[in-house]
Amino acid sequence: MPLIDMPDFAPAILDEFSRRNTTRVDTPVIQPAEPFLDMAGEDLRRRIFLTENERGESLCLRPEFTIPVCLRHIETATGTPKRYAYLGEVFRQRREGANEFYQAGLEDLGDTDAATADARIVADALACLQTVLPSHAFAVTIGDQAVFEAVVAALGLPVGWQRRLVRAFGQTDVLEAIIARLARPQPVAGLSPEVERMLEAGDDAGLAAHLRDEMERTGYLTNASRAPEEIVRRLKEKRLLAGASLDSAKLDALKEFLSINVSLRYAPGVLSDFARSAALPLEAAIAGFDARVAALRDAGASLADITWRAAFGRPLDYYTGLVFEVTVRGEHDVLIGGGRYDRMLTLLGAKDHIPAVGFSMWLDRIQKAKGGAAIRKVEAGFRTQSPRKSGELR
Amino acid sequence: MTITIGLPSKGRMKDDASAIFEKAGMKIVAVGNDRSYRGRVEGFEDVEIAFLSASEISREIGNGTVDFGVTGEDLVREGLADADARVEIAARLGFGRADVVVAVPEIWLDVETMADLGDVAAEFRARHGRRLAIATKYWRLTQQHFSGSHGIQLYRIVESLGATEGAPAAGQADIIVDITSTGSTLVANHLKVLSDGVILRSEACLVRARKQEHEGNATVAKIIEAVRGVV
Repeated sequence: MPLIDMPDFAPAILDEFSRRNTTRVDTPVIQPAEPFLDMAGEDLRRRIFLTENERGESLCLRPEFTIPVCLRHIETATGTPKRYAYLGEVFRQRREGANEFYQAGLEDLGDTDAATADARIVADALACLQTVLPSHAFAVTIGDQAVFEAVVAALGLPVGWQRRLVRAFGQTDVLEAIIARLARPQPVAGLSPEVERMLEAGDDAGLAAHLRDEMERTGYLTNASRAPEEIVRRLKEKRLLAGASLDSAKLDALKEFLSINVSLRYAPGVLSDFARSAALPLEAAIAGFDARVAALRDAGASLADITWRAAFGRPLDYYTGLVFEVTVRGEHDVLIGGGRYDRMLTLLGAKDHIPAVGFSMWLDRIQKAKGGAAIRKVEAGFRTQSPRKSGELR
Repeated sequence: MTITIGLPSKGRMKDDASAIFEKAGMKIVAVGNDRSYRGRVEGFEDVEIAFLSASEISREIGNGTVDFGVTGEDLVREGLADADARVEIAARLGFGRADVVVAVPEIWLDVETMADLGDVAAEFRARHGRRLAIATKYWRLTQQHFSGSHGIQLYRIVESLGATEGAPAAGQADIIVDITSTGSTLVANHLKVLSDGVILRSEACLVRARKQEHEGNATVAKIIEAVRGVV
């Protein structure tokens, strides 16, 4: 590995990490590609360096550290809570910037006090950055998947619609399209009279048997893909969705929520005002949000430098709560990205639920910022205020 | 400067392409014997023909090693990253029509649209312990349609180089993205196209490599004009 291009501030970052009760880990550069594609989706495929071994298994050059660190944690079964630190090269196909560059970061696994762990990780991220860039001012943007999910749940939509909205969180265009469709119901068409009759009669078993017969008649395996019962269940759910629409007051409330962009100093007030004026029961989400703000204040973070943007999220199903980004104030380059990914470890095969939160530092961008060059042109998809691109890892 | 046109080397595509050029006053004759892979155009001293396979044509235009080519739009858009920046579709030729579509088993009564498919894909992992599997040879077009246009991230592509339409029944994949001209193969395999599942309406096109030296070149302009005049 060409350690010669390692940024000269790397040791300072490692010092900061070692002061934070962390275990330094390294992972092989060549990784099985499967977990990355499985977690981040197919879109990642053209952004990583893929190869195959002679048995035809897909391998890739490590595109990030979180997944390998978590896999290693599961394999070694070392127990939680555990804080891991890493610093090393990652490899991605980028339109701008080098294809190999350094990242460093922390992963905090197993702390069940989410507010405190969230605040600690943000404070750690800022402290590490300050060590390297002592004379810069930073801007932190945070988002919260849990608050969005609570707002969606409180609107009283069928579960299917809630899931669609939650899935689109962080993708502005997709979310807008879904919200537009929510304004008008859509009937389910194209069902045969026989199927309609069984649906009307609530004859789920009869319908499933009918589908099973059809699958057998047409040569489809009934156990390889979606089972007849699954199709029946969703067909019923879809008929509920079809009838559902949001009245304009609730639609406006949803849009108003998504437009919130406020300093964290005022965020708790803004959120509770929103809940009151929209008459939405958000107590639990507000309590979680406020607890994090309080924990951030306790951790010594400057709330004035942190902005809560309600529409900020990452469209990957393992993110569950906090997401955050750090830039130099007034600049676009994201120097640190982080978030809470409570669902990842079970998706990767952990037997127990393991809450997790972490961050990665883009050392190449930090180097640029340190050099004083105002690099405003950044890689597509990684800008603070732009809609997230798919396949983004952090 | 010699202008090279890549044409399909065999089959219907070769005959249809030759017919269009002949109609446009550019009769193509093989150099040497009939099975030669080189040709010329009567009356066009500075044009040569390279007979290539259809998928090679899109690649060669992308590389700029040929100036023009006749090939399916599907191959151009699948084969080349940033296709519109690298090549120009100079004329649509009206043959070789086929659609690249998203098709699911007919029995999925609850799935009519990409939004439905998004619901199914999101739940798939929890229900089946794996992501929704799509059989296709169109990696790029599938990603653009699913991730880019419809915000669906959670699926896996299973590469399929032939008989793709049989993959769902055989349990190799759940759904397919494939090319279809009449739809009869899909129907025969009990698959249906989603209402917003047409990714690309493809046909044979005269495609030009975007090259600096084409600017102001009379032969280039003449070829485009001649072909556009007859389609």
